[in-house]
Amino acid sequence: MTKATFRLDSFSRRRALSLGLLALAGFAAQPAAAQNFERPVRIVVPFAPGGTSDILARLIGPKLSAAIGQPVVVENKPGAAGNLGADAVAKAPADGHTLLLMDVGSLATAPSLFSDLTYDPVKDLAPVSMVMFGPYVLAVHESVPVKTPQELVAYAKANPGKLAVANAGVGAANHITAVSIAKELGIQWKNVPYRGGAAASRAVVSGESNVIINGSTATLPFVSNKQLVGLAVTGEERIAGMPTFKEAGLPGNDAGTWQGLLTTANTPPAVVARLNTEIGKILQDPEIKAKIAEQGGVVKPGSPAEFSAWLKSATDRWGGIIKEAGIKGAN
Amino acid sequence: MELFDNLLMGLSTAMQLNNLGFCLIGVLIGTAIGVLPGIGPIPTIALLLPFTFGMEPAGAMIMLAGIFYGAQYGGSTTAILVNVPGETSSVVTCLDGHQMARQGRAGTALAIAAISSFFAGTVATVVIALLSVPLAALALKFTAVEYFSLLVLGLIAAVVLAHGSVARSLSMVFLGLLLGLIGIDVSSGAARMTFGVPELSDGIDFVPVAMGMFGLAEIIANLERPSERRVVSQKVRDLIPSRADLRAAFPAMVRGTLLGSALGVLPGGGAALPPFSSYALEKKLAKDPSRFGHGAIEGVAGPEAANNAGAQTSFIPLLTLGIPANALMALMIGALMMQGIQPGPQIMREQPQLVWGVIASMWVGNLMLLVINLPLIGLWVSMLKIPYRLLFPAIVLFCCIGTYGIANSLFNVWLMLGCAAVGYLFIKVGVEPAPLLLGLVLGPQLEENFRRAMLLSEGDFSIFLSRPISAVLLAVVAAVLLAMLSPAIVRRRREALTE
Repeated sequence: MTKATFRLDSFSRRRALSLGLLALAGFAAQPAAAQNFERPVRIVVPFAPGGTSDILARLIGPKLSAAIGQPVVVENKPGAAGNLGADAVAKAPADGHTLLLMDVGSLATAPSLFSDLTYDPVKDLAPVSMVMFGPYVLAVHESVPVKTPQELVAYAKANPGKLAVANAGVGAANHITAVSIAKELGIQWKNVPYRGGAAASRAVVSGESNVIINGSTATLPFVSNKQLVGLAVTGEERIAGMPTFKEAGLPGNDAGTWQGLLTTANTPPAVVARLNTEIGKILQDPEIKAKIAEQGGVVKPGSPAEFSAWLKSATDRWGGIIKEAGIKGAN
Repeated sequence: MELFDNLLMGLSTAMQLNNLGFCLIGVLIGTAIGVLPGIGPIPTIALLLPFTFGMEPAGAMIMLAGIFYGAQYGGSTTAILVNVPGETSSVVTCLDGHQMARQGRAGTALAIAAISSFFAGTVATVVIALLSVPLAALALKFTAVEYFSLLVLGLIAAVVLAHGSVARSLSMVFLGLLLGLIGIDVSSGAARMTFGVPELSDGIDFVPVAMGMFGLAEIIANLERPSERRVVSQKVRDLIPSRADLRAAFPAMVRGTLLGSALGVLPGGGAALPPFSSYALEKKLAKDPSRFGHGAIEGVAGPEAANNAGAQTSFIPLLTLGIPANALMALMIGALMMQGIQPGPQIMREQPQLVWGVIASMWVGNLMLLVINLPLIGLWVSMLKIPYRLLFPAIVLFCCIGTYGIANSLFNVWLMLGCAAVGYLFIKVGVEPAPLLLGLVLGPQLEENFRRAMLLSEGDFSIFLSRPISAVLLAVVAAVLLAMLSPAIVRRRREALTE
């Protein structure tokens, strides 16, 4: 058995192959690079085209294609808060040729929100690599007389029920963040669900609702145009002079959009390793870094194990908040 | 004159040879996907998005915009010729456009549709250039309260749509509202009538329902009619509308344009609201409403104008606020972001070349569409000479491809086929699917906005009357209801007037 005969198209062959690989591991110079891709690779984006996940997939796609020598196709499979697309990848052949790129926060909240989930985000999907983190901005409509996060908290305590926080939908990450802020700081505000982040932004710009926690790229233009007052940002870095949630004493400093790449569970570890290596290289590409910065994000390359650990901790933490607050998805 | 400077700057961008080329490519692709039933601009633009990567931002936006309004032009063609809406927005055009075709006036209907579209496109370009800032401000005044009142008015208008009995069309509206309830409720997150099917959790998509009930059901019904009944296959003689046709169509065109321009700016209205409302308005204003549904030329001119004007003014929230008014505009935002341009309220100031270039290109594109479409009418009409046994399978095939393409989902294809069976049943029992479609579109938004208004006002109903825009809209609703509930009074008055 020589390296030239390695193929990934049949299950038994793959089994034999990975066993063979184990045996060969001592001899092969680059065991990961030996995992060749012999068919086109699909990146499933479980959201509509034009969103952050979609843009990332279309940025990474051509680079990945060049690296593995196979066409990479981006396929949008929107619906059911990302569950339709994730389900399709969960049920694809376990050969690493079907990838899933999405806001993995949805994967962490799905088991708590939907009791009749058709796949198991942990058991049926194999993390490949985290891709990027995009921080949230906390902002208020100009009619709310506050300039700092502390003033907002004080105002909310003095005027219970007067603030209305727009979110991108029941169970969305910014909904959960708003719920946990209210709980930890003992404030009362209304959570107003909208159909997606753009509708929520519009509502706060118009003053229909008056507080928003939303992606920085979508929110900062309104802050710089003085239609919204920016108060704080999540993540480790200050943006436009705003303090971080941690500095401001708000919970949820790691809230935001976490975009990650996964594939079908039981994909041979060597294939996952190869994908992880290539994605790691792509994320170091200055052009990609700059493009991701334009999306308001920072690249977050990491090992599959780190990604797994993140997913597990987020699932437990956010799941706890969801259960405690009685937030419901489809159950 | 800042406006002229801006428009001139825009024209200088739009008239650059490469941008003219992109505009032409855009409107050609748009016309093609418009004509093909089921294949809409959203999947097409999504497909082309990666190709715009290497293009100049202005060229990319000009091309993508061209696809969008080009599709509105093309969509009416299949609606008129074979009663299959090429686009969701042309559902209404089926009602009278196809009847005109059956009466041997396919050429006239197509020409009127193209002229109305051009007229509306031209006016809408001027509206965008002159009024985009005040219109965007007005759109921001529309909160959940105002939107709810507007939707109530829209639903009342739905009853006017049908030309059968009021009871029948009311029951179809309610059926549509019920179908609209399917899916995860936005306000509470509870799943309703999804039966554990994840594909149903976002509700029923409009496109498969419209394609099934209008297009495929019509095809099934046609199969049982003897083929010589196809009056449509006549000479191309009266391609050019007569002066009388134009005179009848012109006021409808103007009203449709104004209505479409206003409704296009509002969020969430989507492609369906402007043409539906325009049709209802024309029917209300007509001296003899019974002509509607039997080939009334106003029923083609008004909705076509409304739909094109609405398509163009839906760019206003994007260009002035950076907020998408519908799914397609969200895609446009994606296209801008891929170019490294952050859409937002600053975009007009920071990217004037781009914004005004796109605005000016809309007029250029509309002119191209008129020039392309008028000579094509003969070709389209002759397409009807294609025997049914070839034409129908092709339509079914394109409907399947297009419906699959909305979300790459096989579920939608089955949904469309199911709706075709139901639609056939509707034809057999003599009820019309148009009010159902309007209920399906408006129902979820009506509920969502009502509940949001209640949440924000803490259950205070008086909010609908204490806000001026909402109060005016509800007063119109009351007046329309009054007029509808007392047809006797109206009839007597009409008799009195004619005497």
